[in-house]
Amino acid sequence: MTAAVPSAPAPAPSGSRRRRRRSGFATALPFLAPALLAYAVFVVAPMFESVRLSFFEWTGFVGAPQEFVGLKNYIKIFTQDAVFWTALRNTVIWVVLSLIIPLTISLALAVALNRPLFGRNVFRSMFYIPGVLASIAVANMWRWIYNPNYGVGESLGTAFGLPWLSDIQWLGDQKIALYSVFAAFVWQSVGTNMVLFLAGLQAVQSEHIEAARIDGANAWQVFRNVTLPALRPTMVIVTVLTFIGSIKVFDLIVGMTGGGPAQQTQVLALWSYQQSLGNHQYGMGNAIATVLLLITLLIVVPYLAWTARQEER
Amino acid sequence: MSPIAGAAATAPRSRTGAVRAGRRAPDYVRIGLWISLFVTLVIWTLPLVFIIFTSLKTEQDIVGSPVFALPLHPDFGNYAKAMEDGNLLRVGTNSLIIALVKVPIGLAISAAAAFALARIRFRRSRILLAAIALGSMVPIQVAIAPLFQIINNAGLLNTYIGVILPYIGFGLPYQTFILYGFFRQIPEELDESARIDGASYWRLFWQIILPLSRPALAALFILDFVATWNEYGMALVLLQSQDAWTVPLAIQGFQSQFTSSYGPINSFTIMSVLPVLIVYLLFQRYFVSGALAGAVKG
Repeated sequence: MTAAVPSAPAPAPSGSRRRRRRSGFATALPFLAPALLAYAVFVVAPMFESVRLSFFEWTGFVGAPQEFVGLKNYIKIFTQDAVFWTALRNTVIWVVLSLIIPLTISLALAVALNRPLFGRNVFRSMFYIPGVLASIAVANMWRWIYNPNYGVGESLGTAFGLPWLSDIQWLGDQKIALYSVFAAFVWQSVGTNMVLFLAGLQAVQSEHIEAARIDGANAWQVFRNVTLPALRPTMVIVTVLTFIGSIKVFDLIVGMTGGGPAQQTQVLALWSYQQSLGNHQYGMGNAIATVLLLITLLIVVPYLAWTARQEER
Repeated sequence: MSPIAGAAATAPRSRTGAVRAGRRAPDYVRIGLWISLFVTLVIWTLPLVFIIFTSLKTEQDIVGSPVFALPLHPDFGNYAKAMEDGNLLRVGTNSLIIALVKVPIGLAISAAAAFALARIRFRRSRILLAAIALGSMVPIQVAIAPLFQIINNAGLLNTYIGVILPYIGFGLPYQTFILYGFFRQIPEELDESARIDGASYWRLFWQIILPLSRPALAALFILDFVATWNEYGMALVLLQSQDAWTVPLAIQGFQSQFTSSYGPINSFTIMSVLPVLIVYLLFQRYFVSGALAGAVKG
């Protein structure tokens, strides 16, 4: 469809068309150059450097020797680094939960707030607010909420005489800390997804809903058979955005637990950072970063290929 | 904005639907829905309410009363203390300068690239677009350690420019991708008539495409301002001296330095999010249309 417009005016000989195209790039270059330069230097180069360093042993200090060690860093993280496995497991848990819990809540809110309701716009704005706050600010808010001595659990437990509630160590208990942090993520992310779903719902034809109702479909059947299929493109976008957002979770964990207690809330992004810049194990840190990169590409590349095909249609 | 207009357009139609359904069962469903939404909203607002309450209490009240108790004698001492101890004016200025320099430059660069990709035909432009789009999906942590080395070797640690440049790099892919989508929706006949009039690509870009894209540019400006103000991961690595800190670094720093000054910590958090809240309340429609711009890409 792109090619249709330029080839229409004159059936130019192929030679001249090729020349025109080459000069096309020359014309485009001044517009592209600043972006390509910034992208290459600050995004692409560090990424390749990351992969390269994953095959070396290096402390990260300027002037310190970089020693090529082949796959040793990968063997180490996969066989000797228990924290890596915890981090990988937690990252997977985090991504899967992110794709289920906040998405369901935001879809429900969007469907509800798509109806004419009193104060609908106020509802929408209020639910969106947590989404504009800095993750690190959200982390610090929830750290206070979870405070074992003066937080919400403690206050409620005291008020209702439930000592077990007061005793819960929301961020200190290895078994629940990750889920406590996740609750903050749900709070933060629901509004953003809700707005995306609301935008998507505009594409649902109310005639179709009407027709289904007249045919005797109940509310659930309408939702299941009319609304959901029409929401499919939005669903894909929201799923991909949620995946991208959740696989790199960093700020919330740093702000609430720092990966603790006993590394039980460790995730790949944070562990990579701590290995490289905290423990001066650049090789191991970048091997973890490379694993993270590969997981991301595994999901994102098929998605991009799919979008490209959609657009060509 | 279009999403709001769209909502308004569909509202009356669905209302007639609801009325028709309502004849059989009165509006109990709608009332029940409204009540459950309201309860959800109250729960959703509570964390913020707790933070505000705590920020207005004295140390004694915080320790002595439950977290949900109203601050009966609001005390703004925490705010003054937090402002001073947290060096809020300094870090706020840093954040503001960084955002106000980064956002327009980044947007201009992205717009130029998106224009070239959407409007000038050249070989492999699709692959280039895909390569750029890919960058918006890769976590920054993948590149953070080498990025530290690059900025360190350039002697730019703890400087504005040392964080602005990587911010531009990492902000480009998303903005280029969104603007590309927007530019593609502007009819190409405009280009042709402009070029027949002898306009160069520069004039086409400046005088036709950019002015027509004002809504998208405004939405991206606002969203990017907020994102830049909130950015933590890269700043953590690239801004290590306290004087160079941005607001998110200061929040975290305050928290670890004054671990048990709960009043000041919470008032610091509130003050740090105020600018973003104000921007949100003033330019709310742009957040919706910005989100919509992303959704349109489906």
